[in-house]
Formats: sequence, structure tokens, C-alpha cells
Amino acid sequence: MAGIRLAGLTKAFGASRAVDGVSLDIPDGEFVVLVGPSGCGKTTTLNMIAGLEAPTAGDVYIGGERVTDREPRDRQLGMVFQSLALFPHMSVFDNIAFPLRIRKTPPAEVRARVEAVAETVRVAPLLGKRPATLSGGEAQRVALARTIVMRPRAFLMDEPLSSLDARLRVEMRTELKRLHATLRATFLYVTHDQAEAMTMADRIVVMQYGVVQQVGPPLAIYADPVNHFVAGFFGVPPMNFVAGAFAADAGRLAFRAAGVTIVLDRPAEAVTAHDAVLGVRPEHVRLRDGTGGWTATVSLLEPLGDETIVFLDYGGATSIVATVDPDEKIAVGDRRRFMFDQDKLLFFDGTTGERILR
Amino acid sequence: MKRRWLVAFVRHAILLAWTAVTLIPVYWMLNTSFKHSGEWVTWPPHWFPEQPTLENYAQVLTPGSTIFELGRQTLKVLKPLWDSLFTATASALVAVALGSALAYSWARFGTGGKNYPYSVLTIRMLPPIVIAVPFLVYYVSLHLLDTYAGLILVYIATSLPYVIWMMLAFIEDVPSELESAARVMGASRFRVLSSVVLPLTVSGLVATFLFVFILNWSELLLALTLTNTQVSTIPITLNKFQSVNEGRDYGPQAAIGAIATLPVVALGFLIQKHLVKGFSFGLLRK
Repeated sequence: MAGIRLAGLTKAFGASRAVDGVSLDIPDGEFVVLVGPSGCGKTTTLNMIAGLEAPTAGDVYIGGERVTDREPRDRQLGMVFQSLALFPHMSVFDNIAFPLRIRKTPPAEVRARVEAVAETVRVAPLLGKRPATLSGGEAQRVALARTIVMRPRAFLMDEPLSSLDARLRVEMRTELKRLHATLRATFLYVTHDQAEAMTMADRIVVMQYGVVQQVGPPLAIYADPVNHFVAGFFGVPPMNFVAGAFAADAGRLAFRAAGVTIVLDRPAEAVTAHDAVLGVRPEHVRLRDGTGGWTATVSLLEPLGDETIVFLDYGGATSIVATVDPDEKIAVGDRRRFMFDQDKLLFFDGTTGERILR
Repeated sequence: MKRRWLVAFVRHAILLAWTAVTLIPVYWMLNTSFKHSGEWVTWPPHWFPEQPTLENYAQVLTPGSTIFELGRQTLKVLKPLWDSLFTATASALVAVALGSALAYSWARFGTGGKNYPYSVLTIRMLPPIVIAVPFLVYYVSLHLLDTYAGLILVYIATSLPYVIWMMLAFIEDVPSELESAARVMGASRFRVLSSVVLPLTVSGLVATFLFVFILNWSELLLALTLTNTQVSTIPITLNKFQSVNEGRDYGPQAAIGAIATLPVVALGFLIQKHLVKGFSFGLLRK
């Protein structure tokens, strides 16, 4: 088993750069999730690590060795594909045995190892079946077994859960995390699903336009995003954004937007950017009785059972979304006052989207 | 309910009628091949031979080459049968091997550029006679006229477009992630071909082989132009009956026709399993 290091990894297709200077150090045994919207370059990055695509520039190191020019078969990585890529013309047993037979493992050992792995991921009763007859979850486990059996130096996974239905996906998430704990191997997992990233990762790598936006543990990225994109990518329901501008208010800094003015506990000189975007997560919007804050009309309610999502029309361009206790007495059409948790407010540059006033 | 029954009845009646239309010539050929010369042309026609005979078969299957005796031409079929089998099989084998490799490298690596399969097709956009004459000129100076190699070469050239286009459909059906998976698991490019691509396209290969085999088996114009006495395929031999001036030898001609049909039918039966899969194009889609 080994760690993976990327140094300035770049892939250009003609004039456009699918991956642009990605540098990353993944220590042995870490579970790293590469996350971003489709087309952000995460799969291309994974393919370059596997050797399926040649980088335009930059290097890939596995266990400290430079493998940039090596064939995929000489990298000893295990990869699970989005389509799972089970061979339709082979039985489950032959699928799992495939990587061992290629390495000319003696038949007795092949049998022993395949059966042991099948036991671990609970596919032992399926060994005689064809992939086409398996359910989504079964096929998923077979694909994992085929990867585990070769004892790779690291595991690469390209959206392996995307073909499963919602419930099974949540189950497999737990199972993958448990598998990682058992194997203690390096996992590099690609997904566009922020929930998968949050729940499974030791560290998350957020990508957009081929560039790494932020690297960090899930909760740090959630609480302390570096820019507008990262802030909006994580969280359900997503963060509220209010576009406005900074101004001075009696020597102190104030953020003004349609219907909302917030005077901050900072000197007016703290910011040079004029246009700005305020970001606040739904759980940091408080409904309150009495005075203070701003007035809004409740325009929509989405009860989820454990919480209720409230849409507040306050006079701005879009509604403010708040999550409240399900026992809260509230109805569509109510006039309510709301406030933000002052210490949880995030501000982004109106032009670049970079975080300001950290 | 009644209406649906009627529709089914009419549909089957039409299909049966059409089957009869296509099979009657085959039947008439077989029928004639078992008749004595007196029965070949009669009115009203004899739907069954009155005195079935194997003499037509005996005549064409006797070893030896075509001879003239007392002004009468006796055609022999063993040599043409061998010539046809050899040229059609060899050219189909080479064309399928080359063409599927071309199709694979184009589908996976874009070899030859975006328009490659279309430019390959241009050889089929001209009537065969247009290429037959230039080939003849070349073949004279290359000493390829009237040789197996010459005929096989020209058949490979004309079959390649078919093979490439048919195999493209099968190869594009193999998800490239399967190949990537095999490579990551340690397979070489060659191993990917033999363990993944080949097993998944074997039905396509077999169907393509049969298609090209039949094409070359029944090819007349190029064979007629590029061969003479050394090489003489079945279609040429069959054609010779038309010009015999002492009368028409329908019986032996029908016998040769029946014999010529046999290998194709036999081949079809042997590889039936693959044909069903192969001609349904899309065996891998779940």
C-alpha cells in the first residue's frame, strides 16, 4: 500500500485545460474524495493517476516512485469504474479471478483468494452467476471484490455509487467507509455528490474548471469555505446568498442589500471591495418574535420530519431559506421576523467570488 | 378480437406467399437437377422428376477438367468448387482479420482521421467494372492475372469496407471502460484484445465472415475479368452454360447450382448461434 502524490498535473484538450496544475499529497491510508460538478476535471485526474490518460504536464508519484510514464498495468492500482465494468462474458468468479490470472497466480491460490474476498464483501453465493443477472448492489460488491483481490497499492473509485438507487447508495457509503477502515488502504474517490464527499472523506478536494479550489476535512470545508463556489456546493439546502455592497456606517463597516442592512463589528477600512455577496447557511437563519432583524412573509414550507425548510420573502431577489424545528408553529402567509447568527456570516468578493473578511 | 385474428391471418398469408416466391427458384433448381434431359423443358411443367436421376451430379462431379467431346461440352465442377472455396475463404479470412483490426484502431485511437471509414467506402461507390479494367492492366504487368493471389487480393480490397463498417458496429458496442478496467488490472494491450474485445465481438466476427464469404463466393464480374483457365470459380463455370451452342444443359447447370449453394447453407447452420446474436447488433446492451 502506498500514498499518492500529484505535482502540477495538467491535461489539455486542444486549447482548453480539463485539469490545470493539480498538486496534491495523499498520505498512505487516507480516504480522499475528489468532488466537483460534472466536467470539473476530477475523472480526468483519476484517469491520469491510473495511467489511462497521459498528462500534458506534471507528474504522478505512487509510494514515492514517479509513475507518470508507466503503463496502467505497471502501477498496481485498483480501480472501480462508474459503469463497474464487469466483464459480461465471464462468471462472477472469473471476473474476480481476472487480475490474479493475468499475473499467472497458481489456480489453487486463485480459488482461495477469490473465495476469501467473496466472503468479505458477501458475494460468495453469486460466484457462479453472470454479471447481467446481478442486482445493482450485488454488481457493486463484485466490482469491489475484483479490486480488493489484487491487493492494490491504492484504490481509485470513479463515482461507483452513481448507478444505485438512493437508499442503496446510503448503505454502500457506510459499507465503503467500513471497508476502508478494515483495509487501511489509500482511497481516492471521485464524486459529484457533496453528501458522499462529506460522509466518507478524511479529506475533501473540491475542484472546479480543472483547478483545485480547496482541500480540507469535511467540516472545515463546510464551515470555512474559501470562495463562493465551495460555499454553495456543500450543504442541503444550500447556503443563502445575498448580493449587495459594503459601505461605511459611522466609522464601522456595513453590508447593504435590498431589504437587509448589517452593521459589522469591524472598522470601515477593513474591506476595499465594494460589491460583495453575503453567505449564510439555512441553519444560521433564526425566526424570532418581537423586535430586531427583518420582516418577511413565509412563502413555502417543506416539512422533512426532522426539520422544516422555510422560504422567507423579505424583499430581496430570491427567498431566504431557513431550517427550523418541526414543532415550530408556522404557516404559509405568516409575517415573521428573522435574523442571522452574526458570527456565522460569510462574505465573498462580488467579482472574484473569493472569500473576504475571514 | 375477431379483427386482430384477421390481421394476423392476412399478415401470415402475405409472409407465406413471399416465402414461396423466394423459395420457388431454389425448388426449381433442385427439381431440375434430378431430371433427365427430356424433362428439363416440358409443358406442362413437371413439379417432380418422373424418373429421378443422379446423372447430372455424376457428370459434373466426375474428376477431371472441362472437355469437349463430339462437339459437346462436359463441365466439371470439382476444380471450380475448390477454386471458389479457396479464394472466398482465404479472402474472407484475411479481410475479416485486417478489417476488424482497422475498425478497432479507428474506433479506439482514431487512426486515419475522422473520415477514414468514409474514404474506405469510396471503393464501393463505383460500379465494379470501373475497378475491374484498371486491375486487369495492373495484373498483366504484375503477373497476377489468372492466379489465386490476384483474385484473393482484389476480393480483400472490395470486402474491406464491408468488414470495417460491420465490425465498427460491434466494437463500438464494447464499452471502453471494460478495456480500461482490464488494463488497470494488469492486462497488456494484447491481453485486452484476446480476453475482453475478442470474446465480446466473436459473434460479429462470425457474422461478418459469413457475409463477406457469400459476397465473394457469388462474385462474377471481377473473376470473369481477372481469371482465365488456371483459376475458374463457380459463378464463372455456371455462366459458361449460357453460351454453349449445342443447346442448353439445364440439368448439369442446376446440379452445379445446388452444389454451389450447399457450402453456404452448411456454413450458415454451423454458425447459426452466432448469426442470431451477430445480426441483432447490440448484444451487450442491458
